[in-house]
Amino acid sequence: MRLQFDEQTEAFRAEFIEWLEANAPSPEEADEIATSSAHVPEWARRWQRAMFDAGWLVPGNPPEFGGRNATVLEQFVHQQELHHRRIYPSFNPQGLGIITPSILTFGTDEQKERWAKRILRAEITAALGMSEPDAGSDLAALRTRAERDGDEFVVNGQKVWTSGAHDADVILTFVRTDPDAPKHKGISCLLIPADAPGVTRRPFGSFVSPEDVDFNEVFFDDVRVPAENLVGELNQGWKVATGSLGHERAMLWLNYSESLDDLVRTGGAALRDHGLADDPTVLDWFGRLAIDAEAIRLLGFRTLAKASKGMESTEQSILKLFGAEAVQDATLHVLESLGPDTLDHERRTLPLYHLDGEHHGQSWFSRYIRSFSGTIAGGTSQIQRNIIAERILGLPR
Amino acid sequence: MDFELTDDQVELQRIVREIAEQECPPALARAVTDGKGDDAALWQTYVGLDWPSLVIPEEMGGVGLGTVELVLVLEELGRVADPTPFLATASQYLSLVRECGDADQQAALLVPLLTGSTGAAAFDADVAASRSGDGWALQGTARAVLDGDRADEVAVVADADGQAAVFVVPAGDVSATRTPSFDATLHVADVTFDDATVAPERALLAGGAAGVDRARAVATAGLAATMVGASQRAFELGLDHIKERKQFGVPIGSFQALKHMAADVYIAIERARALCQFAGLALDEDDERAGVAASMAKAAAGDAQRIAARHGIQFFGGLGFTWENDLHLFVRRAKAGELLLGSSTEHRARVATEALAR
Repeated sequence: MRLQFDEQTEAFRAEFIEWLEANAPSPEEADEIATSSAHVPEWARRWQRAMFDAGWLVPGNPPEFGGRNATVLEQFVHQQELHHRRIYPSFNPQGLGIITPSILTFGTDEQKERWAKRILRAEITAALGMSEPDAGSDLAALRTRAERDGDEFVVNGQKVWTSGAHDADVILTFVRTDPDAPKHKGISCLLIPADAPGVTRRPFGSFVSPEDVDFNEVFFDDVRVPAENLVGELNQGWKVATGSLGHERAMLWLNYSESLDDLVRTGGAALRDHGLADDPTVLDWFGRLAIDAEAIRLLGFRTLAKASKGMESTEQSILKLFGAEAVQDATLHVLESLGPDTLDHERRTLPLYHLDGEHHGQSWFSRYIRSFSGTIAGGTSQIQRNIIAERILGLPR
Repeated sequence: MDFELTDDQVELQRIVREIAEQECPPALARAVTDGKGDDAALWQTYVGLDWPSLVIPEEMGGVGLGTVELVLVLEELGRVADPTPFLATASQYLSLVRECGDADQQAALLVPLLTGSTGAAAFDADVAASRSGDGWALQGTARAVLDGDRADEVAVVADADGQAAVFVVPAGDVSATRTPSFDATLHVADVTFDDATVAPERALLAGGAAGVDRARAVATAGLAATMVGASQRAFELGLDHIKERKQFGVPIGSFQALKHMAADVYIAIERARALCQFAGLALDEDDERAGVAASMAKAAAGDAQRIAARHGIQFFGGLGFTWENDLHLFVRRAKAGELLLGSSTEHRARVATEALAR
């Protein structure tokens, strides 16, 4: 046990910081704001490409895929610096964080070159087609079907909650290829070009505002997909799905950790401005927030130490649940403590910063509403509790 | 940052758990509670195993382990509702002497601990110290002192000519009234100093306020770890029960309502345990966050005991409401800890005040 990282990891951090300071785009270069999780403005494409070429985009990848074969700890400090500085490496986060790792893990060499590399270089953007109207928490109940026809699959069905689909070039889509098999064993994974005939994307507004349009319904109507676009083996799509979510979870806790730290900073500043810094009620929840921020870091570091030795840790399963609920509680407390000022929906809580997602610093109300993505997306908090109870605590199903 | 226990620490944890489970079964805690037994033999076992010497520096004949190790041991002792004076001696008295005494004083006062002598500490005493001859005289009362009625020595924090000092008084020179605590395995007493005289070699002036703060942080983290252990045991008992107990033809642990309660207890305990170890680590590395980390640990342990007790009893239903069920031994121990060395509300306020000043 020790409080500091080792020298090699710190040297890696220093090298990255130096590169970032020399290469991050200026506000003048960033002349357009991204409007969805697959809308990457030209300047942001150049930025992502620069990171890719320098091997700083996904340091754990080999150089040909935008990395430098970095260790787990090095990957972590890389993420830490990006989060701390509010720098998005990619404005197509699911492309970078979920879809390319899935292709690099399960795809063919040809798929890696044709899809993963182009997504990583920001030549194209990607969306993830998992949930369906009747397959949410019970994802394996998905019904969008793909039937083999010669060298092609014919896809029919519907996805929903597909973030950024209306701006994406390709949708990694989970489909049923064997309707007779048990539900987890008849699923496959296809790369479906978003402009293929028969694909209809219908974006819809979120709770935050009608202009906040990231989610889509995606309809597939006799969409013909080349068989070579199958990722992983036929009917082995569940493996890809759990792998995808695994990638999503690996360092996801850092998002929550950074959000909690930010709530301590910006929430703390707002409380001081409102003369609430010694209100006993405020001290109670704010103390809890500061404690949660430290605790998630500790539990995350423990996970990290184990991951760097190739071990899974039980702590990992609680990070998403704990982090998401802690962020939600704290955001709600800030929102409800500051009085009428937080009614102002246009009053930003963080200054607009061109390298960060624009929505991160919106009003306290927006931040509170957005905190539900943590307790719903990628497995609801209730599903997480079931998983902890059954897999860790051994309670009967 | 490496927040994983070392192999040695895991081994220490394992050994202490094994011995504590064997030597301190619920039947012992129960016998102590019922007044039909005492902790004397158990304490002699610990002394024989050299446990009191674990955190005494090597140069004084101790084992010289750190605060992380102390926290690990105390969690295990909390887990068995340990009735001995280990907690007060090792985490409170010992740390006050170490942090506030000069080298000679430390040696004189710590060496007796190696052979089983015990100590108590009063951090928040309403006691005044005045010069008396070449020594000091103490007047006042310290409330809720752990082992204040049975320890061989009582160390009390008091103001000495405007600076924080610690006075070590033999048990014979104070009068103590034991509180009839709801956790009868714990000795808590009000200690009165009625013009108690203290020789200069027993007035610890070297550490000052910073020393007292550090000792308080060790004591706070130690008590928090004890609470985590007791909460953990209450949780384990409840989990075992809901896996076995059948209603409506199925184990009640298959119901989501109980699963979600169990997951919440699990998280609260993991959160508190991590913060206890962090406090130990920060103290060992002399990190400036040590004091706040100890407050975080105590607040989180308070949260853990609250939910572990509430859900623990609820898991058992009526069976949790009986004297026969061992559950109450651990609920009492965890809850008693909440009431000593500052409540979770007080510690949260301290953490918040510090965070808001940044």
